[in-house]
Amino acid sequence: MGAPNSGLPVLPGSGGPSEEPSASESELTRRDVIRMLAGVGGASLLGGGAWSVLELGIAPGAGLDWHKSVCRFCGTGCGVMVGMKDGRIVDVRGDELAHNRGMTCVKGTMLRVLNRLPGRLTRPRIRREDGKLVDATWDEAMGLVARKFQEAISRDGPDAVAFYGSGQLFIEESYTANKLFKAGIRTNNVDSNARLCMASAASGYTQTFGKDEPPGAYEDIDYADCFFVIGANPFECHPPLFERIQRRRRLHPDTFVICVDPRRTQTAERSDLHLAPIPGTDLLLLNAMAQVILADRLADDKFIDAHVRFSDGNATVDRAAYEKFLADYTPEKVEDRLGVAAATIRRVAYRFAQSRATMSLWTMGLNQRFHGTYLNSMVSALHLLTGQIGRPGATPFSLTGQCNACGGVRDTGALAHLLPNGRMVANPKHRQEVETLWGVPSGTISPTPGPDAVNMFRAMEEGKVQAALVMCTNPAQSLPNAVRYQRAMKKCFLAVAEIFEDSETAELADVLLPAALWVEKEGVLGQGERRYQLVTKLLDPPGEARSDLQMLVDLAERLGHGELIQARTSAQVWDEYRKFSASSYYNFAGMTRERLRKERGLQWPCPDESSPGTVRRYVEGEDPFVPKGAGIAFYGQPDRRAVVFQRPYLPSPAQVSAEFPLLLTTGRVLEQWHTGTMTGRIEELHRGSGPARFEIHPSDAWPLGIASGDRIEVKSSYGSVTGRAHLTEASRPGVLFASFYDTKLLINDVVADNLDPTSKEPEYKVTAISLRKVGEA
Amino acid sequence: MDLQRVVQVLATLVCVAGIIGAVIVARTRFRSLRPADSISLGVVTLSTVAFYKLLAFAGLAAAPAAAMVLANYHTFEGTHEVRACNGCHVMRPMVVDLMDPGSDTLAARHAKNKWIPQDQCYGCHSDYGLSGSMAAKAEGFRHLVRYTTGFYTEPIRFRGHFDNANCFKCHAGTEAFESRKSHQDVRQRLASNDVSCTNCHGWAHPTRAARTPGSADYARLMQNVLGKSRTQ
Repeated sequence: MGAPNSGLPVLPGSGGPSEEPSASESELTRRDVIRMLAGVGGASLLGGGAWSVLELGIAPGAGLDWHKSVCRFCGTGCGVMVGMKDGRIVDVRGDELAHNRGMTCVKGTMLRVLNRLPGRLTRPRIRREDGKLVDATWDEAMGLVARKFQEAISRDGPDAVAFYGSGQLFIEESYTANKLFKAGIRTNNVDSNARLCMASAASGYTQTFGKDEPPGAYEDIDYADCFFVIGANPFECHPPLFERIQRRRRLHPDTFVICVDPRRTQTAERSDLHLAPIPGTDLLLLNAMAQVILADRLADDKFIDAHVRFSDGNATVDRAAYEKFLADYTPEKVEDRLGVAAATIRRVAYRFAQSRATMSLWTMGLNQRFHGTYLNSMVSALHLLTGQIGRPGATPFSLTGQCNACGGVRDTGALAHLLPNGRMVANPKHRQEVETLWGVPSGTISPTPGPDAVNMFRAMEEGKVQAALVMCTNPAQSLPNAVRYQRAMKKCFLAVAEIFEDSETAELADVLLPAALWVEKEGVLGQGERRYQLVTKLLDPPGEARSDLQMLVDLAERLGHGELIQARTSAQVWDEYRKFSASSYYNFAGMTRERLRKERGLQWPCPDESSPGTVRRYVEGEDPFVPKGAGIAFYGQPDRRAVVFQRPYLPSPAQVSAEFPLLLTTGRVLEQWHTGTMTGRIEELHRGSGPARFEIHPSDAWPLGIASGDRIEVKSSYGSVTGRAHLTEASRPGVLFASFYDTKLLINDVVADNLDPTSKEPEYKVTAISLRKVGEA
Repeated sequence: MDLQRVVQVLATLVCVAGIIGAVIVARTRFRSLRPADSISLGVVTLSTVAFYKLLAFAGLAAAPAAAMVLANYHTFEGTHEVRACNGCHVMRPMVVDLMDPGSDTLAARHAKNKWIPQDQCYGCHSDYGLSGSMAAKAEGFRHLVRYTTGFYTEPIRFRGHFDNANCFKCHAGTEAFESRKSHQDVRQRLASNDVSCTNCHGWAHPTRAARTPGSADYARLMQNVLGKSRTQ
């Protein structure tokens, strides 16, 4: 710089020969240089400014507004992040901070289109005398519902009306409906579709531990080294949980997965050991495992002595009596009836007992059974006998089918025999407690439990229930022996709160009430591990649609129970119910609305605002109800001991015969959920699942000349249905499988409506059928 | 010696040679050179003027240019390596987790199972083709600017969508991918990045808590730097 003949500009103070260089020394003047510098400076500032705006000013996620929410499909209850732009949902992702750690399944992913699906019901409708539904105002529709309810009540008393709810209503909605009907109208005719999926789990837990709901949590998956998956297909029905199991296995390759299922499901395919028992016989397996555990000294004697009581179902018995009872269930004695070799039973029993931490996972395969309660309590019994409980990874965990069957129905007691927070209608003390908490006169709550789901529809058939309110469920498709109960619904005045105008149940409605869906309203969902999570309102419902809570409040007013239902908004109801819960072991008084807005859900018990919630129940240091020094206390039972019951195997009423030589079992597929009311309308999911079909083992199909694609008729003593056959070796020989999401294959018309005597849950999983070919592919 | 090391040594030699050449040229008085004098280089004899002109060209133009090319190549290749990402402390939780045989994150599983045997960060975070590489480099530069200027808060968060094409590079066409009906259902959405693969296939890196210095999860994760493996 500064060389006299360099041709470069000479800057002030740079040591140049002159303060005013002549044009001959440089073609650039000082002004030019200043301009150039200013230009360069300006361009740099502009560039830097633009970069800063882009870098710092734009929120992550391509300009979307992100809101935390919860998936509204299965009981996994995945936390999701909803991405919105211009008031529309454009993206849904798993929530990294929620229990599912950012994972969802394809159904959760497609939540993004849920609220935009065509065919939404936007105005109330009333069925005219000519059978046609016509638009009406809310006042006309609700006025008619209230009038029909009042007529029925004045004619035949409060038990002439009923409420049939859902494990998908928000907690606040189920709580309000339960209160309105049980303490306002004074009928226990309150039941729910959760009866169809969870009742056996609830009764099983209640019998064993004295209180409903699982003792463990999803977190236990991260610690288990043996998974006993029985009557569940989490690969398809709870995909994020199965992925979590797989992660555990990848991390610890010696983790062992046992799958018990008559079908070689996708879960079985990925398991280390698959047992395919004959449908309806798996109580033999559980009893035989218990027999091996006790006879081969695999039991945890110390744990049994400290925490377990044996019972024959009526009275306490000693361990020797229980062992004597099990003598009829040695593996060798049961293997033929069960269809599983004795050596395999022993292998499973040893694995179960000797693993460092065993986690059982089950769902409808055990719940939807004639012996659903027995099966549920027997799985818990295996954990109690081996001490596989109360440690990370060791727990009996019942998976849930709906997003709010646990929180919304079981915990609020919105079933015919229950009152909120684990109380029983038949227990005078419990009734008294609830009457006091609700501020109603003693004797308000009827002492007689109402009819369970199936019997509620039978009561419609008999004319005992003359008017009913159905919310957020599709019983015309989901009930077993469906056509019978469709006819029953036709006999009854049916008000149906619906999201779509053409569901199977909407076709039978006398009044259709347009309901808000998912994030079109606010409320709390309680998933399978006692976790309550808040869904905030992000969209307005279409047209005149309202939340189910608004409808219930309106109905309460019209029936003269406005004083009872003082809490009118979701937040008000929550606050009332939260305080109510403080009187019970379900105590979640610490879950204020503000906390739920901030946190990714909390697990009860959570008695105060400083409580982090409870991951493992009955465990000292985790569960606030376990006293110091107790270690483990099953405080739901008076003596703090969990109960192992003698559960004799009795054959299911559904038995093969010459007329019905095969067994039918039903279930879900990955892409569809329940009756497909929502998922069936989502193009990607519909394409994925295709129409429902019968899965048949080739050895059953060939003698009848049936090939894949042929039309077949499946007949039971309840009904018949035709559909396409699909030959697959995934089915056990002698067993057909069909899913219930497709209205064109109304499989539930064929399914038996045998009920578990305790839980009153229907046995969807076992129906004797016959099969014939009716058309070529 | 791998190619990178060769390039590194070569670039150093070129730089040294260039500096020496430039110093010699700077000390040379060109006007005092006599055109008649010549310098023999063994195979060729040049006039001193021609020699110094060539040396000037080499020292002032060719060597810097070559050094620049080699340095760029070195940087371009070097930033493929995991250790380049690990250079910034905000990336360390990711790298520690990646190398942790006890971790079940997508990144760690891809590393320990040798699904991506080396350069794992770059393997998943560079988009397809030359433009993808350039975009990744630009992104890396952007990170560098923010890091050195301090415009970030911890835990750092991934901005925008992860490009599914990075997964497709290996997974498309495999039996495991193609045979799943669900993949076919949303294939278009996956292809257009409307739906992310990680939606169903889980967390790629440690949780936000484990990436936040000062948290218990962070401390637990970073213990692995000392060679302690997480045990359960």
